[in-house]
Amino acid sequence: MMDNYKQAFQEEARELLAELESALLELDQEREDREIVGRAFRALHTIKGSGAMFGFDDIAGFAHNLETAFDRLRNGKLAVTAELIALTLAAGDQIRAMLDEAAGLGAVDRSRSEGILAELRRLTGSPEPQPDMAAAPPAARDVSPGGPACDWRIRFRPGPNVLINGTNPLLLLRELRDLGGLRIDLDASAIPSLGELDAERCYLAWDMVLTTAAAAESIRDIFIFVEDDCELTIERVRAPAVDALAPPAMAGGRTVSDGRGADPASSIRVSAERLDQLVNLVGELVTVQARLSEVAGRRDDADVLEISEAVDRLTAALRENSMSIRMLPLKTTFDRFRRLVHDLGIELHKDVELTVEGADTELDKTVIDRLNDPLVHLIRNSMDHGIETPEARRAAGKRPTGTIHLSARHSGANVLVRVSDDGRGLDAEAVRARAVEQGLIDGDARLAEAEIFALIFEPGFSTAREVTEVSGRGVGMDIVRRSVEGLRGSIDIASRPGAGLTITLRLPLTLAIIDGLLVRVGDAHFVLPLANSLECVELTRQEIADAHGKHIANVRGELIPYIRLREYFQMDTARPEREQIMVVETEHGHYGFVVDQVLGDHQTVIKNLGRLYRNVQVVSGATILGNGTVALILDPHRLVQNAVQSMSRKKRSTGWSEGADRQGPQRTTLLVQKGKQNR
Amino acid sequence: MAKVILTVDDSASVRQMVRFTLSDAGYTVIEAVDGRDALTKLGKPVHLVITDLNMPNLDGIGLIRSVRAIPACRGIPIVMLTTESQEARKLEGKAAGATGWIVKPFATQQLLAVVKRVLG
Repeated sequence: MMDNYKQAFQEEARELLAELESALLELDQEREDREIVGRAFRALHTIKGSGAMFGFDDIAGFAHNLETAFDRLRNGKLAVTAELIALTLAAGDQIRAMLDEAAGLGAVDRSRSEGILAELRRLTGSPEPQPDMAAAPPAARDVSPGGPACDWRIRFRPGPNVLINGTNPLLLLRELRDLGGLRIDLDASAIPSLGELDAERCYLAWDMVLTTAAAAESIRDIFIFVEDDCELTIERVRAPAVDALAPPAMAGGRTVSDGRGADPASSIRVSAERLDQLVNLVGELVTVQARLSEVAGRRDDADVLEISEAVDRLTAALRENSMSIRMLPLKTTFDRFRRLVHDLGIELHKDVELTVEGADTELDKTVIDRLNDPLVHLIRNSMDHGIETPEARRAAGKRPTGTIHLSARHSGANVLVRVSDDGRGLDAEAVRARAVEQGLIDGDARLAEAEIFALIFEPGFSTAREVTEVSGRGVGMDIVRRSVEGLRGSIDIASRPGAGLTITLRLPLTLAIIDGLLVRVGDAHFVLPLANSLECVELTRQEIADAHGKHIANVRGELIPYIRLREYFQMDTARPEREQIMVVETEHGHYGFVVDQVLGDHQTVIKNLGRLYRNVQVVSGATILGNGTVALILDPHRLVQNAVQSMSRKKRSTGWSEGADRQGPQRTTLLVQKGKQNR
Repeated sequence: MAKVILTVDDSASVRQMVRFTLSDAGYTVIEAVDGRDALTKLGKPVHLVITDLNMPNLDGIGLIRSVRAIPACRGIPIVMLTTESQEARKLEGKAAGATGWIVKPFATQQLLAVVKRVLG
């Protein structure tokens, strides 16, 4: 390939020399013509640049000196003389000789090159030949890890013209993310009002914490093209974590610091219980704070209002801070599974490799603790049912070693934890047949693939032909489902028959706080999770009439089935003229919830309803509003699921009667009694 | 769809190197011999322009200024090819709205790294 380039350069350089020659001859006639000087300069410049690029370093170095002289001619710092023209013509011949030598035709008289350059120095009065920086290609920058991982706080506010200048700031963030774990906070505070907004300007800034072993230069290097026109600070926030094997500093003992070592007080151990207490207290504080702002808003007192706003800001900061203390990386959990996979592999005579991705993703400690069991079940299942024996794998044309891939990543307010294997996958027909056999569904039931896969989470379901030591007793998957739903999460299954199975758990970052939308129905308040909410539109009586009694609304051309909360909870307050419909994304598609009024954002601390109500599925908790009243936090997935189930049951069985499948306040008591009997 | 890269250089060998390197990496490469020629190639979608600075007719800086003034093209990333001795020209190019630069001589990996940084 390089020879190709060299050949191309040979041809090109000869053309350029001819161009140089003709320019020089013209210049001899027309010595003041800067245009012609420019032509000669460009020819020399290109010979130098391309020469250096394709390995003709001697030519590049030689041409560089000539180029410098012509640059001065071009800028009028030097006058064109007959001597200079003659010398440059001779230099052109010398370059041609160098090209010949490189092509294997004859040898070059180096002393002649020296003579020409010495003469050039005399004519132009430049003291010494300039070192040619361009001749040596700069060594590729070393981006190898610079030691143990550190945290870097990076603030990046690109210049307003960054987009016009062709830079996509997101690519830079992505490059940063490739260096290690990256937490990004967007600062959108500089976005002006719509009237003043210039769509081509960039108003955003990002505050990031990067955990990486890469050196500071590698981080700065990413911003090399924009660093002059942006606000950029990169600072190390935490010294490298002390090596676990290093002897701990003795209490009271003296540690010798060389000024670079880790700060001995960089972390302290606190019991989880005390952290929980802290979060509970912060929760109470948030509630009281909400009341304070409400009261302050009602009193027309600037001082009180100001104090209330200050407390508001502090509370928000405190809440965020105490939440982040509870966040832990999934690493420890993931690492434990290596042993599990190893031991199970021996027991089952299977060769399985565990690969892990995103282990530094952080989740609330409570979520992590409760995630362990479901993950163990999923991995066991993959090992037992998914991955085949080495012989079977070879026969199927696969690598004899199976792979289980554990990954975690953020997705909005959720974390996606994925367990995938490259085993035999799930066969929808087999699952279906087994479900019929076990009496879970009717033989003639028509189910979509997702619904069939959902059957494996039914209590008592098992596809294993025989019960093995590891799994297949028909317990397991329903436990997984219950645990995940207990975490307000959801499960998604994707199967590639013969090629593997991927199970995705979608989990909230934290259990203690929810970003919600506060809505009102009659005099009752509810909170719907903001993460699933798509939009809010009005539902007028006319639209209801147009749908001919069906609970379907037309939202921007999309037909959206809806549930009227007033009916669902059997509230007898009067329906207002205009209702509002909140469109929510659920696993069953887009659904609407009809309420009287959407009151707005409500970030809130979740209070558990207590053991008495633990069987009420559609309510995931409660919160106390500023005025002291209670709002129930609804689980849209469960609401829709109940509605869908009652619909299909309505279709399937004849014994269905109005209200029997509804869960309202009356129904709640029933459930509680049932719960008691079960205990 | 492969991304389209326009290489602008009066040196055929540099254009060839850029073309070979980038088409091997899966990009579609079109060529222009100088700034004026480059402007005629911008009628069709181009995702990245790699331009030399010293060229007849319209030089690299002039090309950058022109592209940034055309509403339909102004956000196109433009990478300039400079040499160590052209620090002043590089600053001029940045002021004109260049997205980035590559210092000549460069190896194919350096070219690919910069293209990846700018195009994603």
